[in-house]
Amino acid sequence: MDNTIVISTPPHVKSRRTTRGIMLDVIIALLPATVAGIVFFGWQAAVLIITSVLTAVIAEFVYYFIYNGGFKSKCANAKAVCANWLKQFDYTSIVTGLILALIVPSTAHWYEILIGSALAIIIVKMLFGGTGKNLVNPAAAGRVIMFLSFSLTTYVAANFDPISLDSELFTGATNLSGWLLGGEGASGHMEWIDLFLGTGLAGCIGETCKLALIIGYLYLVIRKVIKWWQPVLYVALSAFLSVCMAATVEGATFDISLFVDYALSGGLMFGAIFMATDYVTSPKGIYGQIVYYVALAVLTSLLRFYTKIEVVSFVIMIMNLIVPLIDTYIVRRPFGYVKPKKAEKEGK
Amino acid sequence: MKAVKGKRLFGGVHIRDEKHLVCENATEVPPEPSEVYISMQQSAGKPAVPCVGKGQKVKEGQLIATADGAISSNVFASVAGEIKDITQMMSPSGTEDTVIVITSDGSGDKQYLTPLDDPSAQEITKRIEEAGIVGMGGAGFPAAVKDSPKSKVDTLILNGAECEPYLACDHRLMVEHTEEIVRGARYLKKALGVTDIIIGIEKNKPDCIAAFEKYDDVKVVSLARRYPMGSEKHIIYSCTGRKVKAGQLPADVGVIVHNVGTVYAVCQAIELGKPLYEREITISGRAVKQPKNLWVKVGTSVKELVEFCGGEAENPKKVIDGGPMTGVAMANYESYITKMTGGVLMMTAKEADCLSPTPCLNCGKCADVCPMHLMPMQTAFYSSAGDFDAAAKLGGTMYCIECGACEYVCPAKRPLIQAIRKTKAAVRAKKN
Repeated sequence: MDNTIVISTPPHVKSRRTTRGIMLDVIIALLPATVAGIVFFGWQAAVLIITSVLTAVIAEFVYYFIYNGGFKSKCANAKAVCANWLKQFDYTSIVTGLILALIVPSTAHWYEILIGSALAIIIVKMLFGGTGKNLVNPAAAGRVIMFLSFSLTTYVAANFDPISLDSELFTGATNLSGWLLGGEGASGHMEWIDLFLGTGLAGCIGETCKLALIIGYLYLVIRKVIKWWQPVLYVALSAFLSVCMAATVEGATFDISLFVDYALSGGLMFGAIFMATDYVTSPKGIYGQIVYYVALAVLTSLLRFYTKIEVVSFVIMIMNLIVPLIDTYIVRRPFGYVKPKKAEKEGK
Repeated sequence: MKAVKGKRLFGGVHIRDEKHLVCENATEVPPEPSEVYISMQQSAGKPAVPCVGKGQKVKEGQLIATADGAISSNVFASVAGEIKDITQMMSPSGTEDTVIVITSDGSGDKQYLTPLDDPSAQEITKRIEEAGIVGMGGAGFPAAVKDSPKSKVDTLILNGAECEPYLACDHRLMVEHTEEIVRGARYLKKALGVTDIIIGIEKNKPDCIAAFEKYDDVKVVSLARRYPMGSEKHIIYSCTGRKVKAGQLPADVGVIVHNVGTVYAVCQAIELGKPLYEREITISGRAVKQPKNLWVKVGTSVKELVEFCGGEAENPKKVIDGGPMTGVAMANYESYITKMTGGVLMMTAKEADCLSPTPCLNCGKCADVCPMHLMPMQTAFYSSAGDFDAAAKLGGTMYCIECGACEYVCPAKRPLIQAIRKTKAAVRAKKN
């Protein structure tokens, strides 16, 4: 016997799941949406996706390199630092970069997404301590940074007709804005099949083709990366509340058929499947998660109703900031729980 | 009775159990060891006190050490021969124990207690205490203490879940000694005055379920294949729907749980008068050539048993006393079998992947699988910052049964059990 026997606390066997594996699953789940985006929006979309992913990975690497003393004493440890980085690299920055590219319109410039991606990784993720420590979803924050800095809503997506603006409320012929404002829609209902497949629909690169998103969702559920009810709760509740709110407008009637339009419009489905379910920035316990998704749905429908702009990434950011509070105050009750006071009395 | 389904358990984890390595192998009896090292720490609680001297001749089954206090058990010679030495030795868990060394003379002379014929309830309880029977599930709590409950009990549950991966010793006992286990359970039923006998068996052992379905007075519950089904609180919930609250004993909800191995020992102690000095163990893992189920004497050297199983197939990365989820990792396998040893596992590097932890992702998988509905990630987070109060409060740490399901499932391979033990120790130290 050699002396390489390891002593540790139990358990001595562990599941084969690793962080890397989970992130790889997320990337695989994002692939259909990526492919659909490139098919619909052409090479501009491909350029944006590649720029975003590369920037994210390089930004993370540069930060890690500097932080771990890669430049110290004339780059003496550079090789070792690089090796360590490769060892700890868990694909999270690829996921961030990919998601960020998929939630911007294809008309964004490459330098805009470069800045957005780099800031998302460095400010939102690495400054807070890297993987698992960030308070806000980096992709959502990156999108918000780009949205505010470059006023992305005014960009016109040129590839498809009829396309006016990026915002979900102005997405092509869905006429959500028309309903929300109480007026008659200019071109009536958009065909649900078009909404579903994303054909002839304006929007962000990865958000238009709902079929691709649903394939990704199914993959994530089958691989048990996310729980099936999380996106469903968010999308369904938010769409339902939107329908209710639309009915409060003067002259409008309660029209449940709008439900599908609301559920399939804009970035809601993408946000619900890939961004709200981000492990790091969602609550830990199951009750906290229910509160979180309900709050997301309420906020989304409220903000959609009153601001009439793309709100999903804003809402996710806002709720991310509330998550630590949820985690502190919503504690699960252990199996066979005894109230502490009662237990003390019994002890006496 | 026909098997019924157990109540659904929230939490728990489906583990690749690797029982196929060994569960079909019939029990073998290794050759009698020439020397046995019997530790005095054969149960939870205080070690026993030796009552024999150096050089004394003993027979197989003779009392060599008496219980010291209530939570302790009598210890018996497992071979006939001469006491070679009474000495101090390091145990695998790192404590120093008194050990009685007996050299076998090969005669195999036996000295049992007198067999009981149609015993009364008191006689049964007394015999369980005399025969030094402890819980064979691993904790080693003396069975006699369990069998004199303070509150009224109505149900006896036999724990045949064996939810630990790899181990198959209870499985073999249930298949090979079904009749004895049922008889043992009937004695216990009489002693405790219970009305029902329930045996809980995990679904992955259909042959055991079929074996017990033949008996009309035994209710068979087929449990879902979820770790930790064999935990006392969870098997009670799954079989009867009763919840054991924190600080309560199973007897407080009218239930007594016994491992099937313990019940088999009870049967032998009553019908043959044979005290507890032999037990069934599993030697398994991919680092051993022929994994086997063995019927061994207490005090046998693990090394000899491993050699009996064909020796090492390759260098083991981990040697575990007990099951892989709750067992103790040992520095080598030069230790000796005790009453509590359920198995010895020799695991290769591939099986016991010793990966270094990566940052916590907050994925919440640990909370999802926790059978006690706790939040292990909160415990780990706050205890690493030294805030043990918050760790215990937010993580619910004091309810933890240390089953290890959270750490098993953790994709970041965080050392959660370590954090939980640290927190528990810190909170307890503060209370005292």
